Amino acid sequence: MSNLVPIIAVAVAYLALAGVSTSLAYAPTDAWTVWLASGLTLGLIVAQFHHRWMVPLAGAAIGAAVFALILPGSGVTDAAGYAAIEVIAAAAGAFAAMWLAAPPLRLESLRELGAFIVGTFAQAVVGAALAAAWNLASGGQEGIRTFNVWAIAAFVGAVLVAPLVMTWSGFRPKRSGGLTMPQFAAGTVGCLLFLGSLYVLFSGDTQQRFGGSVGIGLTYVPVLFMSIVALTWGARGASLAAFLGALIALFNTIRDSGPFAAVDAFVGEAELEVQVYVAIVALTGLLIAALAAREHKALLTARDWRTRFEGAIDAHRMLAYEWDPVGGSFAVTGDTAAHLGVPAAKLATLADWLSHVSPSERDATATAFGMRADGALGPALTYRMMRSDGTAITLTDEAQAIRDHDGTLYRVTGIVRIGDRG
Amino acid sequence: MSAAGPSQGANYSPSGGSAAAKPQAWGSNTSDGVFLIHGLGGTQYDLGSMHKRLKNAGLVTHSLTLPGHGLQPEDLVGVTAEDWIDAVVAKYREIRGAHPTLHLMGMCMGALLAATLAEREAHANGRLVLLAPPVFIDGWATPWYRGLRPLLYALPSVRNTMKVEEEEPYGIKNEQLRAIVKAKFERGENFHYRWVPLECLRQVDRLRAIVMRSAAKIRCPTLVVHAREDELTSLRSANFLVEKIGGGRARMVVLEDSYHMVCVDNDREIVAKNVLEFFGAPMPGATSILANEPKMTPAELVTAVNALCDCLANGDFAQVRALAIPDMTWIQPGANRVAGAHAGKAFGSFATRLQDIAGGAVRFTAFGTPVFNRGIALVPSTLVAEREGARLESQGALLCAWHAGKLLEVRWFADDVERENQFFGPPDPAATGPSALEQAFESATAASRTLKATDNDTLLALYALYKQASVGDVSGDRPGALDMVARAKYDAWSKKRGMPPDEAMRGYIALVEELRKREVVAA
Repeated sequence: MSNLVPIIAVAVAYLALAGVSTSLAYAPTDAWTVWLASGLTLGLIVAQFHHRWMVPLAGAAIGAAVFALILPGSGVTDAAGYAAIEVIAAAAGAFAAMWLAAPPLRLESLRELGAFIVGTFAQAVVGAALAAAWNLASGGQEGIRTFNVWAIAAFVGAVLVAPLVMTWSGFRPKRSGGLTMPQFAAGTVGCLLFLGSLYVLFSGDTQQRFGGSVGIGLTYVPVLFMSIVALTWGARGASLAAFLGALIALFNTIRDSGPFAAVDAFVGEAELEVQVYVAIVALTGLLIAALAAREHKALLTARDWRTRFEGAIDAHRMLAYEWDPVGGSFAVTGDTAAHLGVPAAKLATLADWLSHVSPSERDATATAFGMRADGALGPALTYRMMRSDGTAITLTDEAQAIRDHDGTLYRVTGIVRIGDRG
Repeated sequence: MSAAGPSQGANYSPSGGSAAAKPQAWGSNTSDGVFLIHGLGGTQYDLGSMHKRLKNAGLVTHSLTLPGHGLQPEDLVGVTAEDWIDAVVAKYREIRGAHPTLHLMGMCMGALLAATLAEREAHANGRLVLLAPPVFIDGWATPWYRGLRPLLYALPSVRNTMKVEEEEPYGIKNEQLRAIVKAKFERGENFHYRWVPLECLRQVDRLRAIVMRSAAKIRCPTLVVHAREDELTSLRSANFLVEKIGGGRARMVVLEDSYHMVCVDNDREIVAKNVLEFFGAPMPGATSILANEPKMTPAELVTAVNALCDCLANGDFAQVRALAIPDMTWIQPGANRVAGAHAGKAFGSFATRLQDIAGGAVRFTAFGTPVFNRGIALVPSTLVAEREGARLESQGALLCAWHAGKLLEVRWFADDVERENQFFGPPDPAATGPSALEQAFESATAASRTLKATDNDTLLALYALYKQASVGDVSGDRPGALDMVARAKYDAWSKKRGMPPDEAMRGYIALVEELRKREVVAA
């Protein structure tokens, strides 16, 4: 009983998407350009854990059956068969996707994106094969055509809708965090440019507006704006923009507007071109978003590592440095501001470091560093540094060499223990 | 300093034994108070170490756990802005007569409540500090859909069930501190709710509207502390309040290296310094002691110094701790096993080490006539210790700083430091850290955070032992009946009064160990 409401909600959403798909049917080929409802089922399954498959599958089955019954000339048998095809195809697609990546899939990595594409392909092929078989078994003569139309429409529909479901199902409202306002503003500009450029390209007579095949060439422009959306809004924003943009492109193309309708060498060419186009734009956005997410994750990992390292040396009252005796660079890690009263950025060379050593010990310390540059590391040095507040602090500096494969000194790395003041 | 010939100080009574050395609340009945109010979904953790710093400065702190807080986020459903206002008003009325001056201080939503309280109660006998007041929710990390929340408020079922989560950066710019807060969240520690119901934000929005309407009626001197990079609320909020309250009464401190949680982030020292200055409170430390008003009469100062001398004459360093603020510092000169600055908890291990070296026979004696300057007393004396047949009699002077009846700092100036170096031996890096018992206590403290939820009585027992071990006897007024959580904690802690810190540590360690064993058995 507790599942009844969600099942009905899925069925209603399925019917709504089926209705939108119906309105996008391409008259010359008498076929639906995209089957958006297939993306709903697949998306709901892979966005959840295994034990929650029942609700989306049951909702999709009811939605598919009801939709089939609404169609003229369809009976209960057709409805049952259609519902079975939807459920089997979606389950096959989900199994294929989850074979490659563990659910729930949020399209936040290349692995998840790859798994999603494989799942979408499997769903389209299995659904198309079953539909073609059903057509032939029921005395039809268009098995191959049914397979082609079904496979392409289902694949494109899933590429447009499933990412929406998968990414937005992980959405949780936040008090703070996530997308910052500047990121949101940049993404809004990118999204408006993306949708606006698609509208300009696809609405009206493109050939008259741009002349020749210029309109086709300009179809690359929205891809640029999609990349801005994907980089700023991530997979969630990219999937939303791709869905809305696809509706603009498909709606205009089936009404003989836009660059693809302008050059239609054979029946159905424009339909095929726009199908491929919207799928490519959507997948490009998702790919860029996954790459950006991977980079962000790498940055977080690096930040965590740095935080741990800095925390450890700080807890032990230490600093660490890496000195390049040849290039002269001197990089200090640790809370130099607290211990020495100088930010690490102002200790960028050995000369900077030595300038803070107590004047009476500076020459001896410089000499010791000179010997280290020659490979004579020697015992730990003890010297005093002058803090910015005028007090002195005793340091114990222990160095080790990093050498290359033939033993040549590459870097001198040191651990500095912070001693007492005075 | 030369103390040739130990002499009996005129103000020191040698008859004073342990009775005279018992802690006394000098000036506590005349101390100023501060009422601190935490933020939304938070606890007193929001205010960082402000409680401790204010106590160290001789101020008495009061706080409360706001309705819906302290247990689980679901408790916030049904709590209204008026409930929070009523709670702070009730607490205010309960404590305002207990102090000559009562200051108000709030963090985040607590700042909005403090502002509302100051306006409604026409607060004039004290000052007002507003830390990161979110009059406008317009910080750089607020989500893009923040403007849509009024639409969802229209749907009661949504606003009561929708969870609004907290995410990085958690109001903290310092990455080390942020990692700690993140770990606390992941361990499920109950210091801050991980989420709040949307309904709760509606109540905060209502509170914001109240403050916007009433800020101009605030009549007390006000300090607004706000971070330029506050991710939740921009400087516009601080500007608004300063403008409304009036430049003559309100001033602003802008922090340049913090996010929203100003009391725990990078600029926390700046926050503490400005708050203490604004309250006219002293800041512990040798450089500022002389400039501070001791808030003690000469007679109280003499009594306090006598009590300290009693403790030192008996070698009773545990009682010295009872006379002092939690962060009291003892500075021992030279380069030996006991030299250095020993502050807060480190004073305990210093005292133990001192007595271990000398077999419990370290004491001060032959106190001379103290010389007073404001809250500072200089007492000629002799440090006496015996070790393996060797005897040390080191003459010198003790410099001790007092404020509001509490000992802030002690410095021992030895006439011949080298003699002490020879007696105590060279510094031993291994011995400068915490004692084995303190290390075990620290480990038990860390382990306690991983314990699964347990019953309230056990939690209170843990709390009481922890506070007794780390702070000592409970002080301050018992919280009011409305603040049940704080009252229960106070009562539990007060039951441990008089228990030595070492015993409390052992008790705490044993209890944590027992709870862990129970969990293992249950698993």
